Amino acid sequence: MMWLMRRFFELIIVIFGVLLMTFLLIHLVPGDPVEVMLGESASAADRVALRAELGLDRSLLHQFGTYLHKLAQGDFGQSIHSKMPVSTLLQLRYPATLKLALWSLLIGLCVGIPLGVYAALRAGRWQDLVVTIVSVRLSAMPAFWLGPMLMLLFAVWLGWLPVSGMGSGNAIILPAMTLGLGLSAILTRMTRTSLLEVLQDDFIRTARAKGLSERVVVLRHALRAALLPIITIVGLQMGSLLAGTVITETIFSWDGIGRLLVESIEKRDYPVTQACVLVVALSYVLVNLCTDLLYRLADPRVRG
Amino acid sequence: MKNVMMIALVCCFLWACDQPMHTGRVDVPLRFSVAQMPLNLDPRYATDAASARLNRLIYQALVDFDAASRPVPKLAHWTSPNPLEYRFTLNAAPPPFHHQLPLTAEDVKATYDSLIGLKDSPHAAEFGHVASIELVDSHTLVFHLKQRDVHFPEKLIIGILPKDLILKRHDFSRAPVGNGPLQFVSWHNTLTFKRRQDDQVITLTEVRDPTVRVLKLLRGEVDLLQGDLPPELVAYLEKQPEITVKSSVGANFSYLGLNLQDAMLCNIKVRQALAHAIDRNAIIAQVMVKETRAASVILPPEHYAGNPALEAYVYDPQRARRLLQEAGISLPLKLVYKTSTDAQRVRLATILQAQMKPVGINLEIRSLDWGTFFDDVKHGQFQLFGLTWVGISTPEIYSKAFGSNQFPPHGFNRGHFVDPVLDSLLEKEEWTAATARINRQLPYIPLWYEGQFVAYAQGITGYAPKADGNWDDLAVITKSATISNYAH
Repeated sequence: MMWLMRRFFELIIVIFGVLLMTFLLIHLVPGDPVEVMLGESASAADRVALRAELGLDRSLLHQFGTYLHKLAQGDFGQSIHSKMPVSTLLQLRYPATLKLALWSLLIGLCVGIPLGVYAALRAGRWQDLVVTIVSVRLSAMPAFWLGPMLMLLFAVWLGWLPVSGMGSGNAIILPAMTLGLGLSAILTRMTRTSLLEVLQDDFIRTARAKGLSERVVVLRHALRAALLPIITIVGLQMGSLLAGTVITETIFSWDGIGRLLVESIEKRDYPVTQACVLVVALSYVLVNLCTDLLYRLADPRVRG
Repeated sequence: MKNVMMIALVCCFLWACDQPMHTGRVDVPLRFSVAQMPLNLDPRYATDAASARLNRLIYQALVDFDAASRPVPKLAHWTSPNPLEYRFTLNAAPPPFHHQLPLTAEDVKATYDSLIGLKDSPHAAEFGHVASIELVDSHTLVFHLKQRDVHFPEKLIIGILPKDLILKRHDFSRAPVGNGPLQFVSWHNTLTFKRRQDDQVITLTEVRDPTVRVLKLLRGEVDLLQGDLPPELVAYLEKQPEITVKSSVGANFSYLGLNLQDAMLCNIKVRQALAHAIDRNAIIAQVMVKETRAASVILPPEHYAGNPALEAYVYDPQRARRLLQEAGISLPLKLVYKTSTDAQRVRLATILQAQMKPVGINLEIRSLDWGTFFDDVKHGQFQLFGLTWVGISTPEIYSKAFGSNQFPPHGFNRGHFVDPVLDSLLEKEEWTAATARINRQLPYIPLWYEGQFVAYAQGITGYAPKADGNWDDLAVITKSATISNYAH
């Protein structure tokens, strides 16, 4: 319980740090939302009036205090450009990112773990070499290259899937594959290494000596133990996926939070940028907290 | 277990892939893919190119421009009984608004009154000299000005909004209501319109990546693309039998901006050297789209304030080097060139860098995100930068960009160019002499007017690219009933 409370306290510190850093950074980078909104021909009086209306004429400390006060009341503010409540924009965009992240994770797990097990069981043979080459290649392929290649193959040549967009149910497959295949490569390597180590352990020798079938030894005893480090990797990767995968979302016209964040930075839309970074940071730390919890549940040694 | 997982995976994949192929019918939407969605469909706020192009189709303005960019009547014709008064009379039967109320002079007055009253509109400052708008009758109104403005009608290109919705504070930015040929239907991920004359549905989808836009056209997921593609992709599309690519000359002016407060760049010989160091024809031939033409001044030669007699600076590296030596510059001359992170811009920067090196100019490229880059440009924090003027139609741009009293934030004279002779010519609106002087003095290094192009699938007719890149042909474009939605 104490551990959990300490983690929550750390979480609050991290989130406050993120809020402060984001606030300072976005106000330090060149670019003024008033100039973006009014253009260059606006009069000085109009600029001053709008700056006052947006609260940008106050000190940074005052602005930050006001922001925190509103945030505590659940008010993310209003987009400077679209005039929409930021919470509405987040409600529109975040589910898309969440959906894409979960599908990518599913693909990563479904492809990565079986391949890793397969490679470990054939370690040193040609099958292991093939899996190693494929996984290294996949992890080396950037999304801006892999995405269009998948489009070309599955959409243009085979005609099975739509190129991009969110219009149909199967539109998620290609972006999820683009992210999931990269993740699967990492999981394949990790599963292989971890399983090979576990297979050398005494308890596996014992299991074999008891006359258990190789399938039971591997799937019920060895894989279970080998999956512990994979939980950490999955947690970190899930955090990254929820942080918005800007390139994949851009390539596939996927209206997620990553695109919203980039668009808001381009337009110097401070409230949207701050809210996006906050949501991303929250996702990241919460996923990591869940990972730690899972780890403690899965491995009694950590609890001690 | 392993086999079960594999089979399950394959089944899931095949199930997801098993979407029926279907062919288009006459009510199938015409799908237009754009690099950037409009940001704001309220004409009182819109500044981006996509919004401006679409707003021309959703709304109608009092005034439009002819082929030579002279103002011509659109919704109304006008007279000016004296320099401080412009009387506009609406056409006999303007199209009603999309919510079926008639368009009257009251709507025009309400539109401009509301615009002038807005604190956060980028267009409000243009109308700061309007003293009042007098409603004469349901078809006539008079704009009273505080000061003389011979170009006043050219500014009345804001789409007219219905008065009743203005009073209700309707959100035109996301749900526009005008009286133009396209009627707004919905805006979720896709922006959907219905054409008034034949109920043809037209959709706009944003696809930022140019390669993906091309793939979607080839796949039959979109019917039409316009602009915003690198030339190699345009060339690729031209080779595809099922795709038609049409090109036309453009009017958007690309240039190198110079900081004339810089100790070296204030020397005209250095500016001339830069102008002669660039091989425009080679760049246009190799990395620009068809119909791109070398430029000599902001407005193109066909514009009434353009200058067809002017010729582009020729590529002459020896002369450029000689000019630098005559200017007393010790070579190599080091200059910093700022540009955005756009791939084509960065590519052009590297070409300019390579072309200037033999002349003795070491160009250091700084590629910055758009917000930072443009902020630097507006605040004079540059030596050289590359930009394009888009959608310029009035000669007022010469004064705004080069007038001695037009430094930011009052105007666009970002390089702080000062020339009383030019000021006088611009004041007298002697466009030929003024443009010739600008071309000689080189406050900008002119590059080119980029060509316009459109690419569309089989079965599309009635669409052609326009010099300013407008989308006006969406009002007349047709899509054949036999087009396959999934072409491959």
